[in-house]
Amino acid sequence: MTAFSRRAFTAGALASLLTACGGGPAPEGHASRTPPPPVAAGRRRPLARSVPVRLLIPAIGVDTPVMRLGLAPDGTVEVPPVTADDRAGWYRHSPTPGRTGPSVILGHVTVGRYGDGVFRHLARLRRGDRIVARLENGTAARFAVTAVRTVPKTDFPADDVYGNVDRPELRLITCGGARTGDEYADNVIVFAALSGTGPATPGER
Amino acid sequence: MRRSMRRTVLSVLALAGTAVLMGTGPAFATGATTPSPAPTSAAATPQPQESAAPAPSDGPARPAPSAEPTRTPAEAPTQAPAGDQVSVRPSGAPDTGVTGASSGSGTNGTAIGAGAAAVLALGGGTVFVVRRRRATGA
Repeated sequence: MTAFSRRAFTAGALASLLTACGGGPAPEGHASRTPPPPVAAGRRRPLARSVPVRLLIPAIGVDTPVMRLGLAPDGTVEVPPVTADDRAGWYRHSPTPGRTGPSVILGHVTVGRYGDGVFRHLARLRRGDRIVARLENGTAARFAVTAVRTVPKTDFPADDVYGNVDRPELRLITCGGARTGDEYADNVIVFAALSGTGPATPGER
Repeated sequence: MRRSMRRTVLSVLALAGTAVLMGTGPAFATGATTPSPAPTSAAATPQPQESAAPAPSDGPARPAPSAEPTRTPAEAPTQAPAGDQVSVRPSGAPDTGVTGASSGSGTNGTAIGAGAAAVLALGGGTVFVVRRRRATGA
């Protein structure tokens, strides 16, 4: 081997070392289990019907556009597409935020190779944390978290999530818990009740 | 002289090619896992709003679904149902997470791609320096 090819080989070996050390650790999946202590928030006047266009959760740094979701062909709820610019989605067969009933908004916890999903830290929310849904008509529905639950997917509490309620409420849903193969074992569900309404403030636009 | 130079160039090219192959393997493996999550439950049971179980955050009283057909086009420009409450209940649990398994390999794939690029740059640089030295007779 000549001196030149030795030099080239050394350079290549160095580059290979760089390659091997470049991989960072995968984000850790963690969802806290908070028992649901339902809170009776004050009765608020329901808002006029208008679809949500943006969702803000200051406590966990969420500020996301909201798309519309329907039903998948197999009857399950659609979820937002797995893309780099992950966003939340409002289930369009549920009331719009601020209307009487459980308005349902879904988001990913992780989006595969794109990393964290928009609801990555949903399980960190605590009772009383504020959630704002900005609506298409320029108004905003403000909610306060009443409960955060982590439940096995095999025992999804459909009645609690989709069942009728007599006041405006909000459900935020994502995945959580242990990872089993390509899936998460649990769902993280945030329950919130309307705490205020009005025009969207500049920070909520 | 010329032979050794050719050997240098060839060895650098071979190294770079190997690194690129190493990078693209995991990238393709990641690509195969990208499709959005497949829901697990099968039966499509869209059912109208009739919830017997109490919701967690309120009292037992549930108002019966009102019969008022509130389809007011002026107020609701979207195709969504105009009534309150959930009008079609989805089956199963939402699949809102593509796991970090693919996430992790994606990160590694990116790193490996960057590494391959570094190998190419280093190889190219080496060839350039060797040629310059030979040209100047150093």
